[in-house]
Amino acid sequence: MNTKIMMIDDDPDFVAGIKSILEKADYSVNVAYNPKDGFQALQAEHYDLLLLDIMMGRGAEGVALARKIRKDPKLKEMPVLIITGIREQIAFLFPGQAVHPHFVETDELVEKPVEPKFLLEKVSALLRLAEEKKSKVQE
Amino acid sequence: MKQYAYYPGCSLESLATSYNLSTLEVAQKLGVDLKEIKDWNCCGATAYFPVDELLAHTLVARNLALAEKDGLSDFVAPCSACYKNAYFTNSYLKKDADLAEHINYALEADGLHVNGTMKIRHLIEVFIEDVGLDEIEKKITHPLKGLRVAPYYGCQLLRPRKDHENVENPQFFENLLSALGAESLDYPSKTRCCGGSLIVTNRKAALDMVQILLQDAVNRKADVIATTCPMCNVNLEVYQNQVNREFGTQYSIPVMYFTQLMGVALGIKPGKLGIGKELVSGEPVLAFAY
Amino acid sequence: MDTELSFNDEIANVMYATHGNPIKDCLQCGTCSGTCPAVEFMDHTPRVIIGLIRAGYKDEVLASNTFWSCASCYHCSVRCPAGIDIADMMYALKRYSMWKGQHQEGLIGPVFSESFVKMIVNSGRSFEPLLAPTYIFKNGPQGLVQEAQTATGLMLKGRMPLLPKKIKGLKKFQNMVRRIIPIGEPS
Repeated sequence: MNTKIMMIDDDPDFVAGIKSILEKADYSVNVAYNPKDGFQALQAEHYDLLLLDIMMGRGAEGVALARKIRKDPKLKEMPVLIITGIREQIAFLFPGQAVHPHFVETDELVEKPVEPKFLLEKVSALLRLAEEKKSKVQE
Repeated sequence: MKQYAYYPGCSLESLATSYNLSTLEVAQKLGVDLKEIKDWNCCGATAYFPVDELLAHTLVARNLALAEKDGLSDFVAPCSACYKNAYFTNSYLKKDADLAEHINYALEADGLHVNGTMKIRHLIEVFIEDVGLDEIEKKITHPLKGLRVAPYYGCQLLRPRKDHENVENPQFFENLLSALGAESLDYPSKTRCCGGSLIVTNRKAALDMVQILLQDAVNRKADVIATTCPMCNVNLEVYQNQVNREFGTQYSIPVMYFTQLMGVALGIKPGKLGIGKELVSGEPVLAFAY
Repeated sequence: MDTELSFNDEIANVMYATHGNPIKDCLQCGTCSGTCPAVEFMDHTPRVIIGLIRAGYKDEVLASNTFWSCASCYHCSVRCPAGIDIADMMYALKRYSMWKGQHQEGLIGPVFSESFVKMIVNSGRSFEPLLAPTYIFKNGPQGLVQEAQTATGLMLKGRMPLLPKKIKGLKKFQNMVRRIIPIGEPS
């Protein structure tokens, strides 16, 4: 069965690039360009992994969405890879690292721009981790 | 007696100290009990929205939460920008449950919680609605007889609220000035923008906008321009000199907060109202009352 | 959902959350441009900016000074017959250009916004004298002299505080901010 990935990111150019990398690696990718549509899509269908942007819409809405996912019993096990340019966008507020919010069970944060090889490694590692967790629960 | 949560805002601690002084004096005289919100933070004026609107609402919500914590239900701001921000954040909190939930998650880190149940008003609304023009008129000891006042509403006192009595041609400021015994002028630019923070970010544009307001007041032979917002006041008053330099004009027209005019009419000593702190002297105005 | 996103939709997304997707309702009537008190100082009028967004002229829009010339007076917003909150759209465009780090060179608006928000996150309060250097920096020696004259006048009148204020619960305040914006410890 094809592994299904959902991507929520407001930047169409970035989305196009990532989507083609993932599709070449045989993942099936669906895209939403804002958190509202994205959350609806996640509820309508099962996805194996979510790629999530932070700065969207009014502000850091990715954080709010991640918190919503954690509260949803159906979605909270889904692994999430946060891909953000937040440091470039607004880090003048706090010139430190982009902090990994750790809002969901299995998640990781990487910063834009992302190397294709690195992206694919992260994606498969997260999928594997989620799979292991699931089988442990079943045992 | 009813207490009001008073949010002075940053300008009233510096450039607009006379607005703060006159507000407190007049409120006391009229029996309006203002309780300053403890440890309030800057509402961000217009500067947060270009960065993160969620942050903008959160920072405003903190002030609302502090006021709610005091058990108060009326929030009063003398600055139009502070008022507009508080008004809209408060209404979004009521309308948007997701936003309210997320903001409360952030406020929790500060030991606070917001419900969005405050009634948000500008100071001038509180004086007119809760004290009432009749009551104010009764307390006038020094009517501003013959003083020609241009009532300058500015922007954010009226907009973008659409449920306001009349966005294009409001009358409440005129009515208040008449109650003080002054002659309220038909001032066509009364709701035209002063440039706001463009005075910092686009000086040329702002000076141009201020010049139009000053010229319009001069055309109407105004003795003074009355304001309801520290930003308007600073642009019209502090930068009058720079307008003169830029346009070769000789404007020298006093600009005063509506609370200062109220205070004079109520017989409060000018010094207590911060009169004397202007760069364009407000002295000529006093001659009408005394 | 899974189709390429137009520039019109991109901007709609930046403002969608509170205000719906209003740009498409524009009639191109020009009431906004006729109302705007800062229109003379904009390289494109508000009406043209909306037209350019809808036609997908991303580069032209980002290169214009229009939204950074908006004073947020909301006159256009209350007059728009299509009910578009145009001033809010200007904020959305400011946000879009800040996040992309793409705007016309030499504008003070983005620098001002950045220093203002930074100041508040660091102290909880705004302090006018701290803002002045940003302006002076951009306006050269002549601006400096004028600004200094004004500042001295204000200082003598007791309207210019010498020290910035800080709120008392600053640490908790900053923790609150970090829950909204996940950026690290201040260095």
